[in-house]
Amino acid sequence: MSRIDLALGILDHQLIDSQGRRCGKVDDLELDGLDVKAIVSGRSGWAGRGRLGRLTAWLARGPRAVLVPWDEVRAVDDAVRLRKTAGELRLGRGDDRARQLVERIPGSGL
Amino acid sequence: MRISEIIGLEVRTESGDGLGRVYDVRAELTQRSLRVVGLVVGRRGLLERLGIDAPEASERVRKPDELPWSDVVRLDRRGVIVRDGSKPVR
Amino acid sequence: MKTLFSIALGILAAIGGYVDIGDLVFNTTAGATFGYQLLWAIVLGVGGIIVYAEMCGRVAAVSNRAVFDVVRERLGFAVGLVTLVGAELVSLLTLAAEVGGIALALELLFGHSYQLFIAVAVLGLALVLWAMPFEWIERVFGYGGLCLLVLVPAVFKLHPDWGEVAKGFAPHLETGNVPLYLYYVVGLVGAGMTPYEVYFYSSGGVEEEWTPKDLTTNRLNAIVGYCLGGILSFALLICAGALFLPRGISPELLGSVALVVQSPLGPIGLILMLVGIAFAVSGAAIDTAFSGAYNIAQFFGWEWGKYRHNAGAPRFTIAWIVMLVLAFAIVITGVNPIQVTEFAVIFSVVALPATYLPILLVANDRAYMGQYRNQRLSNLLGIFYLGVIVLVALAAIPLMIITNMGTQ
Repeated sequence: MSRIDLALGILDHQLIDSQGRRCGKVDDLELDGLDVKAIVSGRSGWAGRGRLGRLTAWLARGPRAVLVPWDEVRAVDDAVRLRKTAGELRLGRGDDRARQLVERIPGSGL
Repeated sequence: MRISEIIGLEVRTESGDGLGRVYDVRAELTQRSLRVVGLVVGRRGLLERLGIDAPEASERVRKPDELPWSDVVRLDRRGVIVRDGSKPVR
Repeated sequence: MKTLFSIALGILAAIGGYVDIGDLVFNTTAGATFGYQLLWAIVLGVGGIIVYAEMCGRVAAVSNRAVFDVVRERLGFAVGLVTLVGAELVSLLTLAAEVGGIALALELLFGHSYQLFIAVAVLGLALVLWAMPFEWIERVFGYGGLCLLVLVPAVFKLHPDWGEVAKGFAPHLETGNVPLYLYYVVGLVGAGMTPYEVYFYSSGGVEEEWTPKDLTTNRLNAIVGYCLGGILSFALLICAGALFLPRGISPELLGSVALVVQSPLGPIGLILMLVGIAFAVSGAAIDTAFSGAYNIAQFFGWEWGKYRHNAGAPRFTIAWIVMLVLAFAIVITGVNPIQVTEFAVIFSVVALPATYLPILLVANDRAYMGQYRNQRLSNLLGIFYLGVIVLVALAAIPLMIITNMGTQ
């Protein structure tokens, strides 16, 4: 058990899945009463981060946001480490879509 | 409610004294849960937000002024109201 | 013995890779305008990048974070995003300047059209970034850049007044044109403290999974590499001062830059210089393109890295491709790359504090750095340079306007 300041220690930190893959940042935290119920990662997560956040959310394409239940967090150290893979948590889909584009170019496995 | 909606809220006592703004939320992290235990409040604003008051003791906690959650009377989008006589503790 | 050898190789590559188009432009024009008076400003710039890079390297090794991870964590989403946009615009300008510089060097070496070489440069860079293993990139372009060492014999052949040269290492003013002098101070500090170099170094540290054990080697590599690289900057300025100032020549073309070597050392010197420029600026362009991709990927949390294979970090890959395409678009309009360089250096100076400050803060943060947080000396230097950077950032645009981009 330890104390942690949320804006300093969790918000805007990197999300890393069970396979070590980077899959977004903690864009916001969803509270249920006093408990942090979920991590918000993705477009609508930016909407709460000021006017510039709303503008970016509006300009961006892709899925609205992903809510990662706090249960899925394994540890909080240099990054927020998750118990499952990005795919299982529906994170990193932007990279998945971009990969389809990049893979069309020869030599993409280099 | 989301964290982003809490950070930046004005904090006042019941009798109207301003205590500054919420610039962080203190929580207790366990194996399975993360639970809010207090608000980090202060007048100093920008420098603290940048993290200039580097933590002395524990890991990820700022030095300044924690208001325990038990002191909070009401918290909504308009602001935070705390009990009279409530003072931030280090 | 083997590690000593590989360290030496690393340093050699760092020297060859040190000079970029900003150094080429500002060092020669500073020498042509003020002789040796501004050598101290080069020292200031080299000192600055050593301090900044050392902190970034330490932050990467201890806390596993690169510059824009830190920027977002410390400045938050909104301010961090403004910083990102500024950094990306500056990187893009810099990349365009570098592509133009490569094209100019190739044109001087081989004849044919400048436009053709712009396309050659962009396609060549794209191929290298896409297919060449990273270790090779460092070596090929780093060692190729060592051709610039031809500047050192050139200095001696030009017989500069060594007394005057020595005086140049102490800040002093012997001129009536104070704004122009200060403009060059800003430009030389900016050309020395190239931000993309720091983003690249920091990201590389995280990619190579530096740990605290690696700190001494990396510190050494950075300090020695940058200091020795700085010698090339001194040589450029001294040659220009010895050659151009007495003749009242104002070097406005890349060809003039190469002239500093042709005059004392003849056609062989010229060729070596142009080859060195082509390699060094190409290396810089590669670092710049990657750093643009690193920054945006780090800010948004995408997968990133040159070791990740192109499809392993798809948005990162698309980012550097887009940067190359946009740089091409800028240069092909026929805009003068020398002018683009000056804008790039001045604007990078303006953007510098926003990425420097979060690193300084995190380098001091016990929660991130533990026992490796800044000690007294690091903080003294760190805060000194914060002051320098802020002053220079505030003065940059006014000076640019007053001196009409260094022409008055």
